[in-house]
Amino acid sequence: MADLKITGLHKYYGSVHAVKGIDLEIPAGEFTVLVGQSGCGKSTLLRTIAGLEDADQGNIEIGGELMNHVLPRDRDIAMVFQNYALYPYMTVFENIAFGLRARKTPAAEIEPKVRRAARMLAIEPLLDRYPRQLSGGQLQRVAIGRAVVRNARLYLFDEPLSNLDAQLRDEMRGEIKRLHQELGKTMIYVTHDQIEAMTMADRIVLLRDGKIEQSGAPLDLYERPATRYVAGFLGSPAMNFVPAQLQDSGALGVQLADGSVLALPVSRQGKLSARRGQPIILGVRPEHVTRAGGELRQGLARRTALIELVQPTGSRTYATFRLGGAEVVAELQAHDVSQPGETIEVAIDMNRVVLIDPASELVVS
Amino acid sequence: MNDLHARQRVRLTLRLVAALGITVFFLFPIYWLFMISFKTADEIFSYPPKWYPGHLQFGNYAVLFKDGDAIAVWHSLVVAGGSTLIAMFLGTICAYSLARFKTGGEHLANWIISQRMVPPIAVVFPIFLLYVWLGWVDTYVGVILLYTAFNLPYVIWMMRGYILDIPLALEESALVDGCTRWQVIWRVVFPMCRAGLFATAIFTFVFAWNEFLFALVLTRTEVGTYTVQVTHYFGGQSNFWAKISAMSVLGTLPIFVAVAFMQRYLVRGISLGAVKG
Amino acid sequence: MAQATAPRQADFTDRNFKYFLVGPSIFVLLLIGIFPLVYLLVVSFQGITMTEVDTSFVGVRNFAHLFRDRRLWEALLHTVIFTAIALPIELVLGLALAQLFLDRLPGRQIFIALLVLPVVVSPIVSGATWSLMFDNRFGPINQVIGWVTGSPRTLLWTINPALVYPAIIVAEVWQWTPFMFLLLLAALANVDKSQLEASAIDGAGYWRTFFKIVLPAIWPVMAVAILIRGLDLFRLFDIVWALTKGGPGTMTETISVFTYVKGFQQFETSYTAAVALLIIVLLSVVVFAALKRVRLAR
Repeated sequence: MADLKITGLHKYYGSVHAVKGIDLEIPAGEFTVLVGQSGCGKSTLLRTIAGLEDADQGNIEIGGELMNHVLPRDRDIAMVFQNYALYPYMTVFENIAFGLRARKTPAAEIEPKVRRAARMLAIEPLLDRYPRQLSGGQLQRVAIGRAVVRNARLYLFDEPLSNLDAQLRDEMRGEIKRLHQELGKTMIYVTHDQIEAMTMADRIVLLRDGKIEQSGAPLDLYERPATRYVAGFLGSPAMNFVPAQLQDSGALGVQLADGSVLALPVSRQGKLSARRGQPIILGVRPEHVTRAGGELRQGLARRTALIELVQPTGSRTYATFRLGGAEVVAELQAHDVSQPGETIEVAIDMNRVVLIDPASELVVS
Repeated sequence: MNDLHARQRVRLTLRLVAALGITVFFLFPIYWLFMISFKTADEIFSYPPKWYPGHLQFGNYAVLFKDGDAIAVWHSLVVAGGSTLIAMFLGTICAYSLARFKTGGEHLANWIISQRMVPPIAVVFPIFLLYVWLGWVDTYVGVILLYTAFNLPYVIWMMRGYILDIPLALEESALVDGCTRWQVIWRVVFPMCRAGLFATAIFTFVFAWNEFLFALVLTRTEVGTYTVQVTHYFGGQSNFWAKISAMSVLGTLPIFVAVAFMQRYLVRGISLGAVKG
Repeated sequence: MAQATAPRQADFTDRNFKYFLVGPSIFVLLLIGIFPLVYLLVVSFQGITMTEVDTSFVGVRNFAHLFRDRRLWEALLHTVIFTAIALPIELVLGLALAQLFLDRLPGRQIFIALLVLPVVVSPIVSGATWSLMFDNRFGPINQVIGWVTGSPRTLLWTINPALVYPAIIVAEVWQWTPFMFLLLLAALANVDKSQLEASAIDGAGYWRTFFKIVLPAIWPVMAVAILIRGLDLFRLFDIVWALTKGGPGTMTETISVFTYVKGFQQFETSYTAAVALLIIVLLSVVVFAALKRVRLAR
């Protein structure tokens, strides 16, 4: 396995600046997820690492060696494509063995290697079949098997689960994660699905518009987002955003549009005193807006909520109400509410809210 | 409802009759040609002409072989086969470059396509003189090279379309897995567009096989193709007719056999060229 | 698995691979692409004729002669006549055939396979076959005509000035209508069925549907077919050579036959070069004008 280091990477497609100066260091053996919306540059970044595209500016180093002018076949990497990229005129065995044959591996070595990879992915009985006879999930395993068999030092995944249905995706997520634990190789995984990112990554790199918005461990990004974009991207349902203002007199609290104030815990007030009176965006996750019990802990603010929309998922019920004029989704127990129009007491955990500067969109607390 | 079915049946029958009639009409001249080749001289020149041979006799063919004229078919095979193979190979890799790398941009692509419109009569003259100077008149090399040049634009145009239909991910996967660019072409591109290769190849072969003007000008005695050989029997009567028809059949039969085998590819080659582009 | 040695950097061959792929093709194409053009340009300004080899620059003498050469312009006229008559016939017949075979028919595959045969026959063989068919005494055509009209006829199809054009056109149409047929069949098969159904529901009759919906839909393919066959007809040589060799006299001489005679029978080298250039220019103009109206390039 090898580490990856990218410095100052720029990539243009004609006049479109797809990658705008990315610096990234990935230690060996780590599972890194590049995540972001369509067009954010994550696939471009991956393909440049693979050597399928040339960087216009910047350096790519794998294992400490400069790779800018090295052909893909010489970079010792393996790649799994979104559309599997299996050869329809070859059997599963031949597909997996393809890379080994291209590198003139002795025939005697090929068979055991292919079988071992197939066993690892539970597709050994399929070795004599043709791709057209396989299901989507099986095809994906073959594609992964083809990557695994070469024992490369870096693995690249380009949205491999996008074409699978939800159930299969859940299954394969775990499989790939398990694969990483078994092989211990450095893996870079591209997806637009934030659930995949959260569940699979050792580290998430969130890309936006060709730049890195934030990178770090999944829970770091989740609990301590650096910008509004990161805060809103991770988590499902998404974080609620309420435009508000910091009180300019008295105890520092968040003043909503309707005039009511949500008190901030003392521990947080210090950093914010310089921003007294300034507009602020209050960000609170649905799981931090819960049903208020009798006595509230420190830092929880009580509110009366008139429910407008009810969305039960079975284990929880998501209820929408208005806070200071903005729509807020609360995560309640399954039977807390059943109909729009009901009223319920909710508690907002002010220890966990994030405060965002509207102008810069940076999280200030 | 029965009325509708009855009407449809009548229509179908009419269409079938029309189809049969038209097919017979189009095939009749071919039948006539074949039939004459089996007739003896007396039968050919009996009046009124009979529409079937008395018995199948191969005398006319025997004459061709005895006189050594039949070698012309072999020349046609070498020339058409050779130029098709070379044109398919060079043309397909060129098409790959155009399809994947957009080499030369629109200018090169347009120039190549425009070469297809070159009128043979305009270039046959300079090429003839060039060949005289090079000593290439009446050689395999000369004719094969020229046919290759003439077939390249078509091959490149068609194969480019077929290659563009191959998913790019297949080639990229091969590149990452360890293939050189050459290996990608051999192991991925060629197998994936096999159908297109056959369709284009058969069309190219037929064109070269049936070509006349260049063969007329550039061959003499050494590599005369069958089309030229047929015209040697013109301007006469009597046994020349027999030779004309026999030679024609000798040259046409192999194509018919090839087409019978490759029929669906040929049809696809003709129609796809237009429908795709 | 760590690399034992430093990774191989992409070299000259790798970077310029795409040029190596097109190189040989371009090199071969130069043979018919550039060389003849240059040669023609040079020679047409020289004075090489059958009798003298004068390679000095003679100005536009050959080109001036072009405009005064009656036989040349007649040849062009003949060519245009052939094209103007044969092309529409092939188009209409091909379309009719395509329509006939469009829907399911028992044995359709076999019919189509058989109808392809005239196309793969060499034009020379086609001409030879029809000269046999048209023979005044032993050809079946005259025989059938005799049956129909009651008395035996001897029509000299390849000699009688009134009959040579029909003879050539028949041979040409016979050979190439199946080509049109195949092309148009594919095009018709691709017409959006839902449009046809909507038209039927709206109450449009057969011909209205045909002209308003089908024709526009297949026009791109038809345009390509017309262009291809039009060009081929302009270059008509083989069939004419086989049937009449341009005769009687020069009545059926197409521009290709004319050029061939001038160059390879009369050996008027420089003049032939000028004629060849004229042909290229004419063709280019026609193709260019046609392409502007029908966008071919992808």
